Amino acid sequence: MPFGEAELQAQVGRRFPGGTYTVHPWRAWLLADTVLAEPPSVLPGAGEQVAHPLFAWMAATGAMGITWDELFGWFGATAADGPVFGEHETTLHRPLRVGATYRVSGGIVSGERKVGRRTGAFDVVGYAMDLHETDLHETDLHETDLHETDRHEIEDGSHVATCWNSIVFPRRDA
Amino acid sequence: MTAAATVAVGTGLPAYDVPSVSAEKMKTMAALLADPTPIHWDVATLQALGMGDRPVNQGPLTMGYAMNAVTAWAGGADRLRRLRVRFLGTVLAGQHLRVRGTVTAVREESGARLADCDLVVEVVGEGEGEGDGEGDGPAPVISGSATVVLP
Repeated sequence: MPFGEAELQAQVGRRFPGGTYTVHPWRAWLLADTVLAEPPSVLPGAGEQVAHPLFAWMAATGAMGITWDELFGWFGATAADGPVFGEHETTLHRPLRVGATYRVSGGIVSGERKVGRRTGAFDVVGYAMDLHETDLHETDLHETDLHETDRHEIEDGSHVATCWNSIVFPRRDA
Repeated sequence: MTAAATVAVGTGLPAYDVPSVSAEKMKTMAALLADPTPIHWDVATLQALGMGDRPVNQGPLTMGYAMNAVTAWAGGADRLRRLRVRFLGTVLAGQHLRVRGTVTAVREESGARLADCDLVVEVVGEGEGEGDGEGDGPAPVISGSATVVLP
């Protein structure tokens, strides 16, 4: 059954479970190296270091609290339907820091059905995530799992960043 | 060299080149993202899908090159205030990319001197065995804008 416009609109305002994301020094080094930037030092006593700004996106999507497949499922789609990134905006209120843990929260902010002459029908879904500082630091954390856990007991600190994204869902059957 | 004090509307950012997009870096990125999408690392999947044999770069990685370009110019990773991008096309392993930018505004905000820039990431060469892209011209894969804090 085709995913209708009413179902699309019903998802606007839905919140992600959210979670936390830690810029572990090993992550900071590997990401910087992968993106061809200068990696931060992982030597003892390196002091406070700025993390690559791409970590705003890494944290926002890594701690949504749901998988990509689950997100696609909210919109009646699977990875096989060919959803693609549309646009992205990162706003940084302050630099991200190596070793810091950020609380990530957000949800679906828009949904619009469009029809292209060549592409046919498609939905553009916007979602936004906010990153706040926490009082946790890398040395407080013991887990090495890639998937961060939610920590409701953490006090939110300063607003560090906002990440807004859009995903385009083809609607060949609409 | 970082942004000079003489930055003005129309100032061009130094071109930032990625001479050959690395398939090996895509594998590390997939692990960092816990991204199960095999078109970023498995050639057999690409071939089965009729997508050739060159892995597809992750969009965030290409976006990261744009971040590198503006932060190198502005003086460091802590200088970026905003980046907005639109993904226009795919980037394949081995392609030569270039990030170009132009200052569109210089302004003061809360005591900081900010520069707004338009950006584009283009494929300027196809890499080994695929020709050099000459005749087609650069193909944009990302367009967007950024705001940085000037020194």
